[in-house]
Amino acid sequence: MKVLKVPARTIAVFVLPCLLLYVCLVFIPILVSLYTGLLKWDGLTSAQFVGFGNFKDMFFNDPVFWPSVRRTLLYAVASMLEIPLCLGMAILLNRYVRRGNTLVSIYFTPVILSVVIIGQLWKTVYNPASMGGMLNGVLISLGLDSWTHNWLTEPKIAMFALYFVSLWQFFGYHLLIQYTGVQNIPDELYEAAKIDGADGFKADRYITLPLIVPIFKISIVLAFIGSLQAFDLVMVMTAGGPAHATDVISTHMYNSSFMSLKYGYGSAIASFLVIVCLVFTGFINTIFNRIERKFN
Amino acid sequence: MRKFKKGIVYLLFAIPVVTQLYPLLWLVLYSLKTNEEIMDGSFFSFPKSFQWHNYSEAYTSGSYLKYLSNSVFVTGVTMICVIVLASMVAYAISRFRWKYGNIVMTIFLMGMMIPMQATLLPLMIIFKNIHVLNTHLSLILPYIAFSTPIAVFILSGFMRDIPHEIEESAFIDGASVYRIFRSIILPVSIPPVMTVCILTFINIWNEYILAATFISSEKLKTLPFGVYTFVSQYSVNYGNIGAFLVMGALPVILIYFFLSNKITKGMVAGAVKG
Amino acid sequence: MVNRKMKTTFTVALTAAMALSVAACGNSNDNSKNNAASSAAPDKTNSGTATNTTKSDKKVTITFQNIYPDPTTPSYKMVHELSEQYEKEHPNVKIELDTLNTDQQKVKLKTQAASKEVPDITIVNPAAQMKPFVDAGLFAPLNDMLDQNGLKDTYQTGLLDYYSFDGNVYALPDGNNIEVVFYNKDLFAQAGIANTPTTFEEMLKDVKILKDKGITPLAIGEKDSWTGSFLFMNILLRTNGGPGFLQDVMDGKKTFEDPAFVEAVDAFQQLVQAGAFPDGATSIDANAGGNIFKSGKAAMWVIGSWETGAVDASSVAGKVGAFQFPTVNGKGDPNEFMLAPGSAFAVSANSEHLQETKDFLNFFASNLPKKQFELKNAVGLGQKVDGDLKAAGYSDLAITIAGLFNQVKGGDLSFDNTMNPATSQVHLSSIQNLFVQKMDSAAVAKEHQTAFEANK
Repeated sequence: MKVLKVPARTIAVFVLPCLLLYVCLVFIPILVSLYTGLLKWDGLTSAQFVGFGNFKDMFFNDPVFWPSVRRTLLYAVASMLEIPLCLGMAILLNRYVRRGNTLVSIYFTPVILSVVIIGQLWKTVYNPASMGGMLNGVLISLGLDSWTHNWLTEPKIAMFALYFVSLWQFFGYHLLIQYTGVQNIPDELYEAAKIDGADGFKADRYITLPLIVPIFKISIVLAFIGSLQAFDLVMVMTAGGPAHATDVISTHMYNSSFMSLKYGYGSAIASFLVIVCLVFTGFINTIFNRIERKFN
Repeated sequence: MRKFKKGIVYLLFAIPVVTQLYPLLWLVLYSLKTNEEIMDGSFFSFPKSFQWHNYSEAYTSGSYLKYLSNSVFVTGVTMICVIVLASMVAYAISRFRWKYGNIVMTIFLMGMMIPMQATLLPLMIIFKNIHVLNTHLSLILPYIAFSTPIAVFILSGFMRDIPHEIEESAFIDGASVYRIFRSIILPVSIPPVMTVCILTFINIWNEYILAATFISSEKLKTLPFGVYTFVSQYSVNYGNIGAFLVMGALPVILIYFFLSNKITKGMVAGAVKG
Repeated sequence: MVNRKMKTTFTVALTAAMALSVAACGNSNDNSKNNAASSAAPDKTNSGTATNTTKSDKKVTITFQNIYPDPTTPSYKMVHELSEQYEKEHPNVKIELDTLNTDQQKVKLKTQAASKEVPDITIVNPAAQMKPFVDAGLFAPLNDMLDQNGLKDTYQTGLLDYYSFDGNVYALPDGNNIEVVFYNKDLFAQAGIANTPTTFEEMLKDVKILKDKGITPLAIGEKDSWTGSFLFMNILLRTNGGPGFLQDVMDGKKTFEDPAFVEAVDAFQQLVQAGAFPDGATSIDANAGGNIFKSGKAAMWVIGSWETGAVDASSVAGKVGAFQFPTVNGKGDPNEFMLAPGSAFAVSANSEHLQETKDFLNFFASNLPKKQFELKNAVGLGQKVDGDLKAAGYSDLAITIAGLFNQVKGGDLSFDNTMNPATSQVHLSSIQNLFVQKMDSAAVAKEHQTAFEANK
């Protein structure tokens, strides 16, 4: 597959400019962050080296930390569960609609809008009925008054309200990926299967699913990383409140660094986030490599 | 029965059209209402009369054109750089025979796990020392750096599948690697390049935190900053905010609808081989 | 740090100097003349302006980070008009305004401070909130510039103490406010409430009456959690029987588990239980919360007197009055207020044009009172100003509040101006939590104490 044997200098010309920039502006900063995670530092006055003290505090003394980890992971799970749904939609679209691209483009629109707009919109949906919130208004008009809630302020519900917005926003994103994947499967395969008597869902089981695995994996990894880093939406809609009920890892990091002026501690949380990301992505990759091998 | 099934499926397709498009319609209606109509909170209503002056007010009080041209400049330069740099790396990773290709790829992929907020302070210190704070460069550089992972990922996936016969024959004809890259590889890679363009564009166009932190001069600020400050000024006029939001979103929406078919194609191309 | 003594001086100062409606004394009269002279003819006499003229050939850009983004507010106009005026008089100086909203400015300044890259002029909050910056040596002392043309004497006696550390003044406040209860007279009449509450029990009763009439009793935007803390601290000021609770905690004389604190939490929870706040309060941001009151949908609003101008500019103008926070369980003195010395302008110690920046700030601070007065924003000014509110066409509300200023006998600073940021954050979220669930008050107190000890 890799055909070109080129001199090292050529490789350098192709790779180094981008790699250097990337290493300097993404890698080194995060290494610096890993280091500041070992300091007790308010970001202003002189720092004090505390080794893993911040991590110890984080794991054992911070009442906000573990719940925010739990919410983040739940976020990731919810986002990943959305993907099979998107795949199903994609298969149906491919089968029933000739120019599915247009539909997919429409589904994709929320992705391109800035979080500020999306946050404002969904706040008006979730508002209490007394402030004209749409969801509660609809429930009341259906006679389901007892189902109404303060969606963004009841600690047990607020996080789910946020998950939903995120699922809504990225529905089109994952559908797009899955749809293009499905479209890319050569028609000949299905025609051949038809001759063998495999049609419809049977064909999906034996042709679509095995061939879609790599793309499915991409979606899963993107969804996972995306939800671990989820930040803007939470900030715009609840800022982690009420009383940390919607804090996720990244908002907890941000608030610790910039609001509580515990910069070292915030960096420690960031390190944790990056490590979790790496470990889980590696984990997902291994699982999918197994699945792929099984199919082939 | 068959028809019934088909009906259900079409309904299934129609529901997301409503839910996903509604925000745009909502925003446009919002921007044309009076304060009282908005505060009313009635969600489906049309404004009694269209308040077009919301737009003229937002336009005059928000330095829209200045922010817009800054955004266009920053985003444009970033996109060109991302495409050139990332496709070069992607080409090297996917087509060259060398030892460290996979390592370089892994390094880039790891970048996707790094949350931008965590790098805010280190970047600030770096930029202070190379004296680019409060210039457009202080945005363009990190934007490029943070956009390359996904770009390399998509482009190398595509390039891996370009039939190598094309390259080989050109190579035998005596074309240099640079020439092959420029006149063969890049042209056939247009679909995934389009995808990269749109993804990069969306991310950068809406980016706010770096922009607000590194830029202090009014004349250098970008559009998301304008939108954000506008939104944070609740006490003024909701309609103006809506109008500014629409104007802020308009470029993305336009570009997206012109290129949306290309993005689907490019995504396939890039995604096939992860 | 701010100590009790400073608060007493401040109190005295308030009573003595808050006479906004009274023409200022001879001393400050001279000052304003001086200022007028120096702004009109920069090359005359005054030592401060003299330094200016000698350097007038050098091109200088001064970055001025500020938190007044809203073009309709007086503060925005004040900053812009004064900067433009200065640029006109000093063609070599350019004032670059970096205008942000409050939250973003806080983050930006912290990031900038950590990389020692503070803008020439920035904005900080008093006392505990600005201490870390001063400790880090980021701000330039302003003593020389304050003495230069008598600027110092324009400030109310004691006010600058909130911005002083080790005998140096590091920032100049944009105002000096107290917290009051604004109320909508029409809505009170509509609910049949004749008198404003003077005890917490009456307040609770009024809350229930208003609630039954379908009126939101108290406006608040608790997504920005300082708003709830503001209200809570008023209660604590009462249950403690006077100011100084937090200071006592810091001095180790009391703990958060003191009965006064628990009682305050209890009282606060009674308000929540009575349905005093709008639905979904914790998802409403501060400005939007204020708008509930300003659009005539809520009957009361506990907030700083700095909102006076904005209330007068809103749709409820003319219908609004103000009163002191009532006593709680018979404790406290209504004439003790939560004090809110304003956000303040500080100068970067590493500024490349330190002298020019100080000169500009001197001009800015000297002219600020006059400008604010013109812009109908003189309630809660930290400096003495000539002029009669009534004659200048200020509203009854403004005059009422100026009257309340004259009654101030003492008070406390807000929680986050007193305690360190880490403890403050725990406090803020703990209070926010009370909005959404009933808590055991003793547990809330314990949470505070634990956080305080962990972050000492």
